Amino acid sequence: MADEKDIKTITEDTSKYRCPIQKAILFLDEFIEGPMCAKCLPCPMGSYEMRVRCKRLAEGQGTLADVEAIKNIAPIMFEASMCKKGKDTAKFIIDTLENLPGVYEAHTDGNCPDKECAKLTAYRVIGDKCTACDECKVACKDFAILGEKRKPYLSGYYSYEVVDVRCTRCGKCAEVCKYGAIEVVNIKDTLAVKA
Amino acid sequence: MANLITIKINGTEHKVPEGVNLIDAAQSVGVHIPNFCYLKGMKGIGACRMCLVEVNGRAMTACIMKTKDGMDVVTDSEKLKESRKFVVDLILSMHPLDCMTCTKAGVCELQSYAYEFEIKESSFSRKKFGFPIDDKNPFIKRDPDYCILCGRCVRVCKEQGTSVLEFYGRGVGSRVTTAADKPLQDSGCTFCGSCLDVCPVNAIVEADRWRKGREWQYEKTESVCLYCAGACDIKVSTHKGDVAKVCAGGDDAMAEHFICALGRYGFDSLNAETRVLNPLKKVDGTLQETTWADAAKIVSEKIKGAGSGILTVSSITNEDALAIKGYYEAAGVENLVASVSSYSDKASLIGDAVDVENADLMIVAGLNPNQWTRFLPSIDALIRTKADRKAKLVVINSEDAKIAEIADVVLSGDEASLLKSLAKAIADAGLALPAGLDVLGASVSEDITKAAELFKNAQSPVVITTPQLYQAAANLALFKGGAVSVGYEANSKGVTLMGLQSKGLKCTDMVEGKVSSLLTVGHGPLPGRPKVDFWAAIVTNMTDVVKEADIVLPMAAYLETDGTIVDYQGRLKKLSKTVEPLGQAKPVAAIFTEIAKAAGKDISISASEIESLAKETVKVKAAPFEKRTDLHAVSLEIEELIQAHIVNGSRLFWLKEVQKVAVS
Ligand code: SF4
Ligand code: SF4
Ligand code: SF4
Ligand code: SF4
Ligand code: SF4
Ligand code: SF4
Ligand code: FES
Repeated sequence: MADEKDIKTITEDTSKYRCPIQKAILFLDEFIEGPMCAKCLPCPMGSYEMRVRCKRLAEGQGTLADVEAIKNIAPIMFEASMCKKGKDTAKFIIDTLENLPGVYEAHTDGNCPDKECAKLTAYRVIGDKCTACDECKVACKDFAILGEKRKPYLSGYYSYEVVDVRCTRCGKCAEVCKYGAIEVVNIKDTLAVKA
Repeated sequence: MANLITIKINGTEHKVPEGVNLIDAAQSVGVHIPNFCYLKGMKGIGACRMCLVEVNGRAMTACIMKTKDGMDVVTDSEKLKESRKFVVDLILSMHPLDCMTCTKAGVCELQSYAYEFEIKESSFSRKKFGFPIDDKNPFIKRDPDYCILCGRCVRVCKEQGTSVLEFYGRGVGSRVTTAADKPLQDSGCTFCGSCLDVCPVNAIVEADRWRKGREWQYEKTESVCLYCAGACDIKVSTHKGDVAKVCAGGDDAMAEHFICALGRYGFDSLNAETRVLNPLKKVDGTLQETTWADAAKIVSEKIKGAGSGILTVSSITNEDALAIKGYYEAAGVENLVASVSSYSDKASLIGDAVDVENADLMIVAGLNPNQWTRFLPSIDALIRTKADRKAKLVVINSEDAKIAEIADVVLSGDEASLLKSLAKAIADAGLALPAGLDVLGASVSEDITKAAELFKNAQSPVVITTPQLYQAAANLALFKGGAVSVGYEANSKGVTLMGLQSKGLKCTDMVEGKVSSLLTVGHGPLPGRPKVDFWAAIVTNMTDVVKEADIVLPMAAYLETDGTIVDYQGRLKKLSKTVEPLGQAKPVAAIFTEIAKAAGKDISISASEIESLAKETVKVKAAPFEKRTDLHAVSLEIEELIQAHIVNGSRLFWLKEVQKVAVS
């Protein structure tokens, strides 16, 4: 593995997320694919298990038992791992748990406070702000935006909508909307548009 | 001996040797440190993390730690227990929980730790892999789903030189398999089963064990395999009067120990269809059942005085040897030959006691041990294991010896003159030339100088050789270290020490008909019926040749016999009866007592006599560097003939066939 990432680079990579669970999943993914050598048992097994649990939380399937499991595994994995790589990984997870208390637990209620866990969030058009300029529909590669472009000589139009099941949470629409009409919300707080 | 030092284990002070593995040291004072990946005798790899302990307050891996004076070790704090429980818990999350029907239940280390830590079911998410099972051979079944990735099998197979098993993949989904995922028989596996002995769970298990009784039902007996000169320690498990399995003897999970497929599965021959169950005598050209008394009477009348002879193999016990000797003396039998005499005599076989296991340099001269052809396989494995653990190896052979592939120095050519050159080079390197050693005219090459350097730097070099070369090789032991010669039968040394080498005619002469009546003991290399008027054969199994005998007496197999032998290293080893002799079979000693009784004689054997005879050693003296041509070479062909009755009619036959195909 020539261009294998080291722990430091992986840690830097995770800064692109605010959500500790997204950080953890990215870290574990890259650790398992990269520097983890699987010479000892607690580190690979602990990493896999924590990844399974984190993914459950990120997908809204998680329960408090998953949070408990991660809280159990990380410190023991820290103690029991053979080398610094395993220990650093465990430490990284411990930090995500400690630096932002309560965030893991929040996910068990279907809330991602940082609105980064795709399955827990939805994109929604704020009707009052939408000018029906059609920019988002053009930007959306997944045909998840419904709406009809406003024509100056017509009146009475509907605001655009995001079709939740088609939306892949890429964020492109919000990026292009000059009017700030697209927001990310917790999925629980929406009545998602059924296609 | 190592220094004794004081260490504290869980608050109590203990005296233990310095520099030994902490797991072993603790075990020796009755404290068990849990472990999965550690193997006694092998360097720890620190993989499973079960053996974490606190040493002077810091978490340390016990399987890697060596004892040091003043260590304060805690093995059972709450924190340590938590961490072990964690490992077991995680393993169980990917393990089929089949304990109720699993073959390994009762001896499974995972099961017993789960019990100890009170884990009924894993608290982690269930993982299932469904790896393919390798059960394409009649010996070993591999089921990777049970594997806990401890790596013991991989290391043991690698260390003994077979290197069949490897880890494939990384992390949780990795598994142990063979190169290119081929079944074992296509991977250079010798079916020695070393992997099976060390696997702590059901991932590698005897193929025939399913429903052959459970571990706790077994009675376990330590004994010795008599199928070749290795004379390996074995542990025999019996169930309802039958052998259920044979394992390498000695401590459990110890890497030192090895047995080959013959020793492990040869017990099939005990219950083979060919087994002789009753005394038989020839009536109108066919063998028919008779009584012991009748058969013994006939034999005692024929085998006595002039014109009669006894011919025995040397894989019998010392007790058997003495009984035979007792009978031939009492009955005045004129000729007696033990097979050992065709390839050795006392001077070429019996030397000073030698500790091969602790040698730091092994010089293998003229011997060609080979696990794959199963010629002295345990000696091959021992040499490879020692070499893997940093003992040096010099191979001297006039032919291609497979063992040379791992040697530090290979000297090919005439062994006797190479030994002479080596002796000269050793003297040139600065060691005083022992009195009486003639190295005149020897030439020294670069490789020989290299070998001499190794010899000079070694603490306890050992020359392992054949009887033909023993005296030449023993010259090196005059500098330092020892020399040992290997015959091809398990009790070559014992039979010789018991005084049974030969008296009267030679073996070939007897078989060629220079005697009129002949009694043979065991399955010697007899190509056809001896040309004698009367032939009585004492055997375990019927063969085409034995069918030609006038009398056939059923002999107890070695697993059905008590007794002692003297192995190639000169150690007196004890055989224990593990099952009752089948049918009317009897141990050789009992057969000769019976025959003597029929002749109105009494023979007695005493254990103290055996002990004192077995102690005899012959001091090594300077001798000319010559290969003895009056002695037969120890060869694979003869060994195969001797073992044919074990192989034919058992699972081992399959192996022979498979290997034949692989070679051609
Ligand atoms: S802790 Fe270190 S040695 Fe163990 S598996 Fe992880 S990276 Fe490898
Ligand atoms: S880009 Fe914004 S304003 Fe334009 S249609 Fe889309 S949501 Fe409405
Ligand atoms: S290998 Fe051990 S733990 Fe696994 S099913 Fe068998 S007995 Fe149970
Ligand atoms: S049976 Fe022997 S040779 Fe075959 S894999 Fe196991 S240890 Fe290696
Ligand atoms: S097969 Fe057995 S010995 Fe080999 S790694 Fe797996 S559990 Fe350990
Ligand atoms: S190496 Fe020889 S003594 Fe050892 S088990 Fe095999 S046949 Fe028996
Ligand atoms: S026994 Fe020490 S780590 Fe496995």
